[in-house]
Amino acid sequence: MADNRPTLAVEGLKTYFFTKAGVIKAVDDVSFTVGRGEILGLVGESGCGKTVTGFSVMGLVDPPGRITAGRILFDGTDIVGLPDEQMRRLRGRRIAMIFQDPMMTLNPVLRIDTQMIEAILAHEDVGRKEAWRRSRDALGQVGISAAEERLRAYPHQFSGGMRQRVCIAIALLNKPDLLVADEPTTALDVTIQGQILHEVQKLCRETSTALIWITHDLSVVAGLAERICVMYAGKIVESGSVDEVLDAPLHPYTRGLIRSVPSRNPRGRPISQIPGMIPSLLNLPPGCAFRNRCPRADGDCAADPEISSPFAGREVRCFHPHLTEAS
Amino acid sequence: MSAPILELRGISKRFVKTLDLAEKLAGLLGMNVREQVVQAVDGVNLFVGVGEVVGLVGESGCGKSTLGRIVAGILAPSAGSILFRGDDVADMPSDAAKNVALKVQMIFQDPFASLNPRMRVRDIIGEAPRVHGLVKGGEVDDWVDDMMLRVGLDPSFRRRYPHQFSGGQRQRIGIARALAVKPDFIVCDEAVAALDVSIQAQILNLFMELRQELGLTYLFISHDLGVVEHLSDRVAIMYLGRIVELAPTEELFAEPSHPYTQALLGEVPRLDMRRRRFEPVKGEIPSPLDPPPGCHFHPRCPLAMERCRSEQPRLKEIAPGRFSACHLNDGT
Ligand SMILES: Nc1ncnc2c1ncn2[C@@H]1O[C@H](COP(=O)(O)OP(=O)(O)OP(=O)(O)O)[C@@H](O)[C@H]1O
Ligand SMILES: Nc1ncnc2c1ncn2[C@@H]1O[C@H](COP(=O)(O)OP(=O)(O)O)[C@@H](O)[C@H]1O
Ligand code: SF4
Ligand code: SF4
Ligand SMILES: [Mg+2]
Ligand SMILES: [Mg+2]
Repeated sequence: MADNRPTLAVEGLKTYFFTKAGVIKAVDDVSFTVGRGEILGLVGESGCGKTVTGFSVMGLVDPPGRITAGRILFDGTDIVGLPDEQMRRLRGRRIAMIFQDPMMTLNPVLRIDTQMIEAILAHEDVGRKEAWRRSRDALGQVGISAAEERLRAYPHQFSGGMRQRVCIAIALLNKPDLLVADEPTTALDVTIQGQILHEVQKLCRETSTALIWITHDLSVVAGLAERICVMYAGKIVESGSVDEVLDAPLHPYTRGLIRSVPSRNPRGRPISQIPGMIPSLLNLPPGCAFRNRCPRADGDCAADPEISSPFAGREVRCFHPHLTEAS
Repeated sequence: MSAPILELRGISKRFVKTLDLAEKLAGLLGMNVREQVVQAVDGVNLFVGVGEVVGLVGESGCGKSTLGRIVAGILAPSAGSILFRGDDVADMPSDAAKNVALKVQMIFQDPFASLNPRMRVRDIIGEAPRVHGLVKGGEVDDWVDDMMLRVGLDPSFRRRYPHQFSGGQRQRIGIARALAVKPDFIVCDEAVAALDVSIQAQILNLFMELRQELGLTYLFISHDLGVVEHLSDRVAIMYLGRIVELAPTEELFAEPSHPYTQALLGEVPRLDMRRRRFEPVKGEIPSPLDPPPGCHFHPRCPLAMERCRSEQPRLKEIAPGRFSACHLNDGT
């Protein structure tokens, strides 16, 4: 494996849903890379296309959805349109996803040990005993005590938070090269979230797993990721290092988001807010999708802004980015 | 401190836990699934002053919603008493009790689930004030328009159904519905948790405006410490059914007293904390079905002593206005 090649390079990805009501451009010209051992935060509000981006990478987009353009290079090979059988082999072993809903991973009628051991044996030639040992250790890693006993349980015997932790343990089991985590800790409490973040950090450090952490929570990304992509209405509107994007956002939307975090505002005072709301992605008109909420919008913004790179390592999709001020 | 509008004395709630879908499925398949008893709220004492915002924080399942629903009169406590403006609700004649029920309203996390999908917004907001005779029949429409304007909704949408609104707008409908009966006290249960960051800021601002304009009192339930810190005058921290710390907001965040509060604040993600080294597992969150004896927090507490394993620490005043339930407060 060439070490300077990113684990994942997404180029010009478009994933559209062709519904009776019209075309939903859920992912519309998205490009990003994630290197070995790197953590990328993919941030945006609900409905902006984060999950569909993750599903596209996993090869899990079903009709009426379709990848209509772009390449997804995993370790240098384009996996768009890969035959199902080959894609299935990649998933689980080399590429894994933690879903928003843990029951997308877990089978309600199988014991946890069965599910975890199968997940290992499906991809690796080890004995059952070894697979069991690894399963037990993985549960311990995500903060589930009495693991030997818990392995004999069924998903229903766990709380929602524990089920999500089992899914995270399963994703950690095969030490994948690429892990897509879709808001896995949003429903968890901060203390458990901290433990999970510890485990994924360790995974990336020790096995060079490339991680995409999908979330709407800027604060989590601030502590976890090295780079951020901010998504709005199907497009990446800004990307760069965590420090650069959070300390000197270029895009008016990123800036508005950071300012609307309560702790950024004096206690008890009105919170700086972005007016209006995200437009529907169904039959979205041309032009910058943020323009009805943007304090900088003018006549230029009726056209589609292209991605530009005003500084090395930074990208922004805006006609009038904040090039000089800090946040 | 202003006179209490609400006081809770020794409030407890026990549930016999019903089975969820996965459990029912497992039961059908012949697996051994039993019903269990949960002590969701365990001997809570709390007062809330007129016009005050008290934040209620704690991990999932610790009993926040249960306590909120008891305060809102939706759920009856198994033990303890609720005093509204000094009078025990249980001893009130029925019309006074009904009045209290109107004066205390609740706003929920999921604005969709809490709105009747087959009712128009006009009826959702106007029904209760009309039924309770707060507004005369002919004036209901004006009243509804007033409420909609107040929460930032365009009154021309009054004939629409909930599904025709976004999440943030639905939450505004829920707020308008609560305001329509002229409440004094609002229980907000994770009222912004389901909203996107930019919409969350809009709704939080609305809560603060309404408090100013209408002199409302809030019990503000949230697991988001940043939100609670911003809005609350005082904060109560709950752990497995019990309040373990209660303090003015600034003091609590500057100088948390209880070991659990300290652990909680240590894990809060913050925008200005970059590339943190997150800490590995320190004990497990115990199940509310089987809470540890003594101090519920002892299996996870770095400072636990022998006595913590058997003896429950009482919530005591450790400084003026500051309360904590920990044996360490007794000195050693
Ligand atoms: N109607 C009910 N029947 C049985 N058990 C219940 C019922 N309502 C709540 N419980 C149990 O009581 C405990 C406290 O629940 P509650 O909903 O008050 O928690 P919470 O602090 O609001 O949690 P969250 O942050 O997840 O909303 C939990 O163990 C819960 O499973
Ligand atoms: N199966 C589907 N059919 C039609 N539209 C879909 C489907 N899945 C997602 N979408 C649409 O694609 C857009 C992006 O969705 P999603 O990626 O789930 O957002 P996010 O994860 O950022 O909240 C939304 O407008 C959503 O309604
Ligand atoms: S392109 Fe125009 S409307 Fe869009 S974000 Fe930039 S300034 Fe605002
Ligand atoms: S009572 Fe004991 S176990 Fe509980 S918080 Fe205090 S020191 Fe820790
Ligand atoms: Mg999603
Ligand atoms: Mg709750």
